Amino acid sequence: MILAIMIGVLTGGGVYLMMQRGMVRVVFGLGLFSHAVNLILLTTGVSAWRTEPLMDSATPAEAADPLPQAFVLTAIVITLAVTVFMLSLAVVSNDDDTHAIPDPGDRPTAQENDTGDGADPAAKSATGTTATTTGQERDA
Amino acid sequence: MTALLLPLLAAVPVMAAAIAAMAPWRIVGRLLALAVPTVTAISGLGLLVHHHTEPVVAAQVGAFIPGVAIPIVSDSFTALMLVATGVVAALAILFCDLTGEFARSRYFAPLVLLLLAGANGALLTGDLFNLFVFVEVMLLPSYALIAMTGGWRRLGVGRLFVVVNLLTSTVLLAGVGFVYATAGAVNLAALAGAASEDGRVAAALGIVVMALCIKAGAVPVHGWLPRAYPGTSAGVMALFSALHTKVALYAVIRIWATAFDLDPAWGRVILVVALITILWGAIASAAPFDAREILAWQMVSGVGVILAALVVASAPGGAIVYMIHHMVTIGALIMLVGAAEHIYRSDRLGTLTDLWHRERPLAVLLVLAIAALVGLPPTSGLIGKLEVLSAAVEPGTVWGIATVVVVLLGSLIGLVAMLRLWRGIAWRDVAPGGESPGKSDDDETIGPHPRIPARLLVPGGALVAVSVALFLGYGVVAPEVDRAVGGLVDTAAYVQAVLGGPEALTSTTVGGVS
Repeated sequence: MILAIMIGVLTGGGVYLMMQRGMVRVVFGLGLFSHAVNLILLTTGVSAWRTEPLMDSATPAEAADPLPQAFVLTAIVITLAVTVFMLSLAVVSNDDDTHAIPDPGDRPTAQENDTGDGADPAAKSATGTTATTTGQERDA
Repeated sequence: MTALLLPLLAAVPVMAAAIAAMAPWRIVGRLLALAVPTVTAISGLGLLVHHHTEPVVAAQVGAFIPGVAIPIVSDSFTALMLVATGVVAALAILFCDLTGEFARSRYFAPLVLLLLAGANGALLTGDLFNLFVFVEVMLLPSYALIAMTGGWRRLGVGRLFVVVNLLTSTVLLAGVGFVYATAGAVNLAALAGAASEDGRVAAALGIVVMALCIKAGAVPVHGWLPRAYPGTSAGVMALFSALHTKVALYAVIRIWATAFDLDPAWGRVILVVALITILWGAIASAAPFDAREILAWQMVSGVGVILAALVVASAPGGAIVYMIHHMVTIGALIMLVGAAEHIYRSDRLGTLTDLWHRERPLAVLLVLAIAALVGLPPTSGLIGKLEVLSAAVEPGTVWGIATVVVVLLGSLIGLVAMLRLWRGIAWRDVAPGGESPGKSDDDETIGPHPRIPARLLVPGGALVAVSVALFLGYGVVAPEVDRAVGGLVDTAAYVQAVLGGPEALTSTTVGGVS
């Protein structure tokens, strides 16, 4: 029961944080949600305490199911890697406002057909109006 | 013997990625990135021939007993998809090479190789949790690729892409957890028919299928796809369109055929979603001013057609044929538009213009690719649409008729969207982009650029040729598709190969319900 309530609380908190604008909060929200899913995976085994699933020390009747634990371990590793990457995405553009994604049809106000001269990668200003070059990326 | 070689299809790209990352010469990475998908396609062809004698090949990784080991399985459907993804990926990577992606970043080749490893693994695995792992292996390099290639929007769309895909993967993982809790196994062969017998398993697998549909880009959770994909470069977009959504659709087809036994009653929900997806994608593709965004919306529409063909019919033949056709066609269109974009530095309708006079070879290939997308001969489009429609009509239900009407309506709207694209980029006198270039300042709008070199047209042209070849030589492909459909409809051989016979299906080998 405690596990079920815990999963609910973590999911609720995760969803709330994911609804925020800031990228860092979204990352924290995803972290909470993935913890909730890890607990779901753990509860698919028996949640009561059981002995180690080792051939010599325990019989299958009293050993824990090792498979959900292996699932959780794998999931934690993957989530950690992606979390670090997302945090770096939040850092690189000076501003972590996720609503500042322009529509695909929009273009930088100037320099549309600029051939580029080794300019920096795309950078965004705080208001979402953007000025950068497309040239270097499209250059051969 | 063949079974022992199967895991290599996922392992070799990973090792190649490691070599490409460490080798001091970039030529190593370039050659490996071109060779690996080519070898994948050739292996797929070999498997396709091998499956004539042995319908299902299964390898038990780690030599555990069947049912406990993670199975790497190949049947005719897998082999067909390996060939299709291998061919499209090889040409997309060739296009990336021609547009200089490899020269721009040292880590482009290792990332692409990891992407291929994940895609191959996801196609070959017979285990739901392993599917999640391989999908993540496929997505992690994609996050990096989307953040380092393409235009000025890439960082914004990179965040969107990562957040949506990680959230979806987490939902997929929760679904896998529920499947394990209800069925006591995540091995697809052990789950054969489980969903149609037990409602709880069906609900758990429903979460998995829902997550895969988000990854495929079905309405109403399609929004990330047409925003994220045009933000990357054309070559990477072609690669993604061949691998990401199609691997998700492959998994949906596999789960649907194996666990749900193609039960039309469960398919109503997906069918409604699919029909809305077809219309939504088609209508939305008639609005954007960027050529590649139009194509991204057409991808959404195509996903709807594949899903509809899967759930409305009693056999998934239409879905398989249309999926292969759609991979080839969208890949060709993206790379043809990308070739023009690479030279003229814009894919905006009206800014990129007058290709019919400037670039006649490109324009001719573009006509063929557009014909393929809307379903006109002499291309695979006609075959794909015919298979979908005949599959929808066959059961003779109201749902089948509705599917036929919606697919035809979607094609018609798609034709309008494609004509708009054609008017924008191939003709001179119309400028839907808002700019109205006069007769004199036309050269100013585009600038004095060189003509597109023929080598840039090779990848897109090759895919157009594949599409035409599929139309002309469909008699060769049809038996293979039938064999794939047979393996999906009758799962006995699949279960036999993976679990080693019905007697192995005991609680000790498969794992009891907890």
